[in-house]
Amino acid sequence: MTATENPTYTWVGTRPIRHDGYDKVVGKARFAADLDLPGQLHTAYLRSPHPHARILSIDTDAAAAMPGVRAVVTGADFPDLDPMNPNFDVSVNVMARDVVLYNGHAIAAVAASTRAEARSAAAAIDVEYELLPAILSLDESTADDAPLVNENNITRFVESDGPSNLATVNVNERGDVEAAFADADLVVEREFETAWVHQGYIEPHACVVDVGPDGRADIWASSQGHFMVRAVTAAVLGWEPSRIKVTPAEIGGGFGGKTTIYLEPVAARLSEKSGRPVKSVMSRDEVLRATGPAPAAKVRVKIGATSDGDLTAIEGWLGYAVGSANDFAGLVGAMSVASYKFPNLKLEAIGALTNTPKTAAYRAPSAPHAAFAVESVIDEIAQQLDLDPIEIRLRNAVVEGDPTAMGMPHPRIGFVECLEAIRDSEHYRSPVPEGAARGIGTGFWFNIGEQSSATVNVNEDGTATVITGSPDIGGSRASMALMAAEELGIDVYRITPVVAGTETVGFTDITEGSRATFATGMAVVNACRELVEDLKARAATILGVEAEAVDWVDGEAVADGKDPLPLAAIAAKAKSTGGPLTETASLNAGGAGPSFAVHCCDLAVDEETGHVEILRYTTAQDAGTAIHPSYVEGQMQGGTAQGIGWALNEEYVYDDEGAMQNAGFLDYRIPVASDLPMIDTIIVEVPNPAHPYGVRGVGETGIVPPMATIANAITRATSVRMTSLPMSPPKILERLGER
Amino acid sequence: MSRTHVTCTVNGDEVDFLAADDTSLLDALREELGLTGAKEGCGTGDCGACSILLDGRLNCSCLVFAPEAEGRDIVTVEGLADGDHLHPLQQAFLEGAALQCGVCTPGFLVAAKALLDENPDPTETEIRYGLAGNLCRCTGYDKIVRAVQEAAVQLNGAGK
Amino acid sequence: MPRVHLMADHRRFTDGVATLEVEGATVGAVIDELERRYPGLGELLTHGASAGIDGVIHADPQYLAVGPDTDIWFVAPLSGG
Repeated sequence: MTATENPTYTWVGTRPIRHDGYDKVVGKARFAADLDLPGQLHTAYLRSPHPHARILSIDTDAAAAMPGVRAVVTGADFPDLDPMNPNFDVSVNVMARDVVLYNGHAIAAVAASTRAEARSAAAAIDVEYELLPAILSLDESTADDAPLVNENNITRFVESDGPSNLATVNVNERGDVEAAFADADLVVEREFETAWVHQGYIEPHACVVDVGPDGRADIWASSQGHFMVRAVTAAVLGWEPSRIKVTPAEIGGGFGGKTTIYLEPVAARLSEKSGRPVKSVMSRDEVLRATGPAPAAKVRVKIGATSDGDLTAIEGWLGYAVGSANDFAGLVGAMSVASYKFPNLKLEAIGALTNTPKTAAYRAPSAPHAAFAVESVIDEIAQQLDLDPIEIRLRNAVVEGDPTAMGMPHPRIGFVECLEAIRDSEHYRSPVPEGAARGIGTGFWFNIGEQSSATVNVNEDGTATVITGSPDIGGSRASMALMAAEELGIDVYRITPVVAGTETVGFTDITEGSRATFATGMAVVNACRELVEDLKARAATILGVEAEAVDWVDGEAVADGKDPLPLAAIAAKAKSTGGPLTETASLNAGGAGPSFAVHCCDLAVDEETGHVEILRYTTAQDAGTAIHPSYVEGQMQGGTAQGIGWALNEEYVYDDEGAMQNAGFLDYRIPVASDLPMIDTIIVEVPNPAHPYGVRGVGETGIVPPMATIANAITRATSVRMTSLPMSPPKILERLGER
Repeated sequence: MSRTHVTCTVNGDEVDFLAADDTSLLDALREELGLTGAKEGCGTGDCGACSILLDGRLNCSCLVFAPEAEGRDIVTVEGLADGDHLHPLQQAFLEGAALQCGVCTPGFLVAAKALLDENPDPTETEIRYGLAGNLCRCTGYDKIVRAVQEAAVQLNGAGK
Repeated sequence: MPRVHLMADHRRFTDGVATLEVEGATVGAVIDELERRYPGLGELLTHGASAGIDGVIHADPQYLAVGPDTDIWFVAPLSGG
């Protein structure tokens, strides 16, 4: 299906070939691991085989003397930050100090002429450990008298009286849930659990770092934000950020997992010590053992309803196992469960530490766990009340002005429109296939704004270069170019969108929270609008009329009684009308609009094997306005596929020693093409009033609904309610056996 | 460490390089020949980002030792286009927005070429199973499968 | 006076009061006044909360102007993926 084509725009809403596409289909695009510098060294890490241990001693002498080895670093090579420093946890995560906090935690790194030499040397480092008790689950972490996971952890966002296993707490409450449950005609309460899952980007973390004799560092890195790389690397090294220049490489997927760093400070120190450039690339095993997965969780949800299907109260406890150190996300994602009016509400979300890798953001962080639980219970209520699963949601859906879980009223949102889009879809109106069942699930993400900068240069040939600092994860260059084409009135292919480094564009926050097209796009629009004002003034000079007499129409300056003056003609006279045509805009964007999605899935359960086959899948999501509909669809489809993997296959398997047993793509199995059907998309467009084109971010929401959508279909297929992710064949068989 | 002298054909050109016996063909292509189109996503043959054609057959170049390439014919993503003329698969991927981050794209293009070379008119299911050795985490495969379908139409049309 | 809405976590400072009127021309001034009335609360709001105003969440609201009819919703900080 296609987007609603918006007739008022010339370029916005069209589907040009992305500007960086050619390089990416001929193998020319440069990802971080594709760069080599003359004389560069390669790295290998020694990582902890224990989930929690004190490091008594590290002997690197033998390693340092091995062939090809030029430098060895350990935690002693990095300054100790104050535990309240926002970068403290990252600094400890990139290289352990006196304690290892999880199996896989970096203890030392070697730089050598070849990877093989580096690996041999890392294996020759001798470490003495004193084993400490390890916490490997949420229940162990929250138990009374549980040993501390991380003695430096202080609970965030609430009062704290000393180190604790509690990372964050977030409580929201309104009304009187106890009274509402007492009055309810129906109360359903269930407990759910989900496993640790990884973002699974195909490109492992990689960087090349060259620290010169002047002490300045050049870094080429794959990340979701190179200004973040600069700031955090500097903090970990104890440097001023301006000592570091970061050039963004193409990024091979992030999904939140590249909003933090792992390698750069270590490579910088190795480069500093060796006097040589250092290239550092993770193996897949290291990516899975040592970079952030999304938390595992337990969620208890209790919802009350009237016999008519009005949802009167929700009580929820959401516990997230966030790994070895504080995740600064405030678990607000957990609060996205309140997609319904719920006059009475009590939600408590906690993050608890475990001796497992420090978790990282993963698409709509903490929302999927919550939506799995809430959307499952709502579906159960619909079944018990014999209500259509969409009708019960429409009856209770939040609209503009209804409170979020935190109490603040929702801005203009498109939840009802998404529900209606699925209800009216050919998929939902068609009969459920023989032997299959159909499930519905919903979800949303708040989205965020933050800081962005953009510079737009008009070149002497009348083309324009649009320079931003937002790494392009999924086609955002094309979106920037489309918005600039719309503003300037020139062909989108006469615009070159560029992602520039830390010394060539103004500060820009991470590409996260679905903010690039929203916030960076707004900076591009603002710069273009200033540029158009300048172009009109230049045209007035050339035409010999008053500036107010000039309009800008379809890429031309127009004034009564004069021939229109195209952009290229003004550009050609830039020197004689005041110099180069360039404008810069920057902002701290507010007004990111929440994006809702509703999913519909047909599936079949093989009751002999427990295998679930997804037969048909449709997603409707509010994009506000789709700038490049193909890449909006791509975000919807990609998020959905990740959610399907989360629902059916993916999980970290740990042994009793906290060692991951499936640290590779063979055993940590993400969906492949043959696991999935086409994923049909319906782009709903309820414009966000806070953006000049109505954009809402679309990146995050797609991963939120699939788990409950699939679980609800499995229930309708088998009469069994699955409450534990992944819904893998053994678990399904076990539950079928209990019938 | 001793290095073996390897001579082979890559994308139609005869090339030679030196490689240690335990060097993967992927590393030799990327580091000795500067062909960085093939990517290492896993190093264990599970993701397909390093897909190449070895004597016309699809292979994970991370699982081939560089000296094994002696005398063989290799095609990488850099060899798919005919000069400035993109292969229909490349054109279909561009027009169909069948890539997001683009890191798996070279492997998918090579794997899809191997599939269409063997089966010029595959069904959707045959495409899905034919590409099941290649992981993509961005797209959900929908637009990749459609692009391969479109390229098959173009290739078949050109052959008639 | 601007109306402040507190997260449940923070209501223990106010004996459970969720909504209160607090003088101040900016969010920072409102937080200072809250700190004066309820020692410790201002510190938590400064370092552990964003402010939602007119449906827009602001991560660094210190200098944001507020008027007599402004509702300020203090919410937990939000980050994305």
